Amino acid sequence: MQGNYSSNYNFSNSMFFDLHFHGDEEVIKEAERLGYSGIGLTRYFEDFNSDFLKQFDILKANSNIILKKCAEISCKHPEDLRKKVQKSRKKADILIVRGGDLKVNRAACEDKRVDILSQPNRSRRDSGINHVLARKAAENSVAIEINLKILLKTNLRYRYRVLSQFRHIVELQRKFKFPLIITSSASFKYDLITPQDITALSKSFQMSFEESFDAISKIPQEIIEINDLRDNFVVDGVRIME
Amino acid sequence: MIQKLKILPPTIRDKKRYIAFEVTSSVSLGREDIISMMLDGSLYLYGACGTGNFELWVVKLWRCTTNNVQEHRMKGILRCRREEIDSVRAVIPTITNFRGKPVVFHTLGISGTIKSATKNFIKL
Repeated sequence: MQGNYSSNYNFSNSMFFDLHFHGDEEVIKEAERLGYSGIGLTRYFEDFNSDFLKQFDILKANSNIILKKCAEISCKHPEDLRKKVQKSRKKADILIVRGGDLKVNRAACEDKRVDILSQPNRSRRDSGINHVLARKAAENSVAIEINLKILLKTNLRYRYRVLSQFRHIVELQRKFKFPLIITSSASFKYDLITPQDITALSKSFQMSFEESFDAISKIPQEIIEINDLRDNFVVDGVRIME
Repeated sequence: MIQKLKILPPTIRDKKRYIAFEVTSSVSLGREDIISMMLDGSLYLYGACGTGNFELWVVKLWRCTTNNVQEHRMKGILRCRREEIDSVRAVIPTITNFRGKPVVFHTLGISGTIKSATKNFIKL
């Protein structure tokens, strides 16, 4: 695999995942058509109830791709975050914390139960991640999300700022090696982007082909695998074998 | 009478690549609309300096049928310079709306000739 976007790498042989996805059945079918192998069906913490779980089971039965239920936690204080994580960890396959506030970003990076820190740069001038948070995220395997919806929906006049924030996150990832994922955060058909387009677009924030490929294929796959085994973990490095 | 320039020999001409794409929108789009969206997208991402190097042109367009009546789908071929193909591919997903209505572009594939792009990716 060369570091060239126009290389004839065969995308049809690889598995692609989008772990932040707010759509319904119609959007899931469109994602399948565009070449995704799995998606994380996300609901906000307040909407993550028994009705959603029932709806999820029906969607899973009718779908040909891997579906995971994700809970997105939005909070203002680290204490609030811990309570919500405690409540939803068992119910959800993947836990996403909506960042933006520095204290919340830090609390999420320090919590091993959190899988993804979403939008650390939300409503900020900086990227929301520094060397301290990057090191914590790497230690606790908390993936940092690059949310393409922010880039595409931001006013064109301020789009340069989002590109700069993404580039800053990518530079930190190269140094501290925390997991980095790219998601579309699609809530309807017109938000979906094909995996090929994501790898092409990520060049605009200085991400190489290999890095962007891993961010939509390898790393989400690892997150799913870890969460499938999470119930068996006793302490760090020890798990119950079935 | 306007005098036409003699066509350059193939070795001096710019090498081209053809990007097959698909566009889905909630309103019916014409050729001019797609050209203006592509150029605006490129201008916003790379500016006049970058766009000048791309030699962008929409070569062909086909209307396709969809199951949804409110949805309009078209397939087309975009031409650009071979050296700038990576940059041009990044422009395509950045186009998200046209006059306030949602629009989405997907890349289908890249080819060296219009004929093979039509055969392999447009698949009419």
